Amino acid sequence: MSVIVPAGAGRGPGDPPEPPRQTILFDAVAVAREGRVALDGVTLRLAEARIGIVGLNGSGKSTLLKTIIGLVAPSAGRVTVDGLDPSAQARAVRATTGLLFQNPDNQIVFPIVADDLAFGLKNHGWSKAETRERAQAALARLGIEALAARRIHELSGGEKQLVALAGLLAVAPKTLLFDEPTSQLDLRNRNRLARLMAGLPEQLIVVAHDLDLLADFERVLVLEDGRVVFDGAAAAAIACHRERAG
Amino acid sequence: MIDGIGRSGATPLHRLPTGLKLAALALVATALFFVDRPDVLVGAALVALLGLRSTGRRFREIASDLALPMTVIAALGVVDLVFVDVATAASVVPRLLALAFAAHAVTLTTTTAELTDTFERALGPFERLGLVDAGRASLTLTLALRFVPLIVEEAREIREAQAARGLGSHPIAVIVPLVVRTLVRAQVVADAIDARGFPPPRNSNNAK
Ligand SMILES: Nc1ncnc2c1ncn2[C@@H]1O[C@H](COP(=O)(O)OP(=O)(O)O)[C@@H](O)[C@H]1O
Ligand SMILES: [Mg+2]
Repeated sequence: MSVIVPAGAGRGPGDPPEPPRQTILFDAVAVAREGRVALDGVTLRLAEARIGIVGLNGSGKSTLLKTIIGLVAPSAGRVTVDGLDPSAQARAVRATTGLLFQNPDNQIVFPIVADDLAFGLKNHGWSKAETRERAQAALARLGIEALAARRIHELSGGEKQLVALAGLLAVAPKTLLFDEPTSQLDLRNRNRLARLMAGLPEQLIVVAHDLDLLADFERVLVLEDGRVVFDGAAAAAIACHRERAG
Repeated sequence: MIDGIGRSGATPLHRLPTGLKLAALALVATALFFVDRPDVLVGAALVALLGLRSTGRRFREIASDLALPMTVIAALGVVDLVFVDVATAASVVPRLLALAFAAHAVTLTTTTAELTDTFERALGPFERLGLVDAGRASLTLTLALRFVPLIVEEAREIREAQAARGLGSHPIAVIVPLVVRTLVRAQVVADAIDARGFPPPRNSNNAK
């Protein structure tokens, strides 16, 4: 493999690859869901590598993640992901931004692991030949290449979570959105996932009740009734959330 | 049977193209209904059983896979024997057994991906006529294969939870919460499928 570096690019072949990042903008975003306000005037610029989101049940955390990939459209205001509108350009945004659902059973579509990874790759236009290779590579990144031929319903909850994550990684996203990723895991699987997450070069935006998961994040938001009531360092945000929760 | 979609393998039946297996199954199924001679039908059932055994499945496993259909077939045989005649029973039973063995041999040697790919290709001409969306139709088939076992499991959980609360088992008491849960799940799964980029772009066979 030879890499040609244009003169003056300032990056040598020995440099580590540029870490994947996107800039996600929320401009006065409101979301009404069945008459209730799920997000209420949210303005944010998200560009850090590690962003956490905390808040009580129903405070709008999942809704915020869903607006980023256009599953929920704002009723007012505007969201952009690296300049793209997730509602109008959903395909492009979903190729660079993956969402890990709370329950992997709802995210995994095919009964066999390798077939499920192939589903996502096919959706994003990868050829059959590339699919095998990319699926294997994604499983290997998480240390679960041995699961490729296994049936989903024979896997443990922790394994399913990793398969769902591998399905996202296979399409090479820049940003991963996690919705309460550890809420269904036992302590061992939770710790394993936490270690894997810490090692991912991708930009992560993580909703969690598991506050330890966010302890060394660069930035943590606190949501309450659809509004961002705190935005800052992890320790201060977690303290603020604890105090408000009572 | 819930688990009846095959793994990949290397037996002759595994290696046959999926389209050929499905076409042959359809042909055999049709032909069986034009044959009435019990000796021919018993022969067909034995051949189908040997074909099924050739996939590496043991007789004991086959018996447990097909316990439910075989019970139904046996019951039909008894009904024919009592209410119709011996000749009818002697043709109905081997005919249905042959069908069950042949169908199981095909599902055991065909992975879901092969099945849905073939399904999608077979629907291709209808898609060009604007009659169906082949990608969507085959995804529906996949989802059924993936989620039917989960829904069955959920029904069991609901029944157990109700039993734990001292409620007797009544079908309505299981069906109502099951339908609600299934609808909620369907919404989440639909979101997940969208989030994962479905449907694929039109020229999905081209390299990116
Ligand atoms: N699918 C939906 N349909 C209608 N309302 C919803 C839906 N999902 C969530 N909501 C409402 O939106 C608000 C925010 O929900 P959500 O974003 O799921 O909160 P969180 O993830 O913080 O628990 C809640 O009031 C909730 O009832
Ligand atoms: Mg939520």
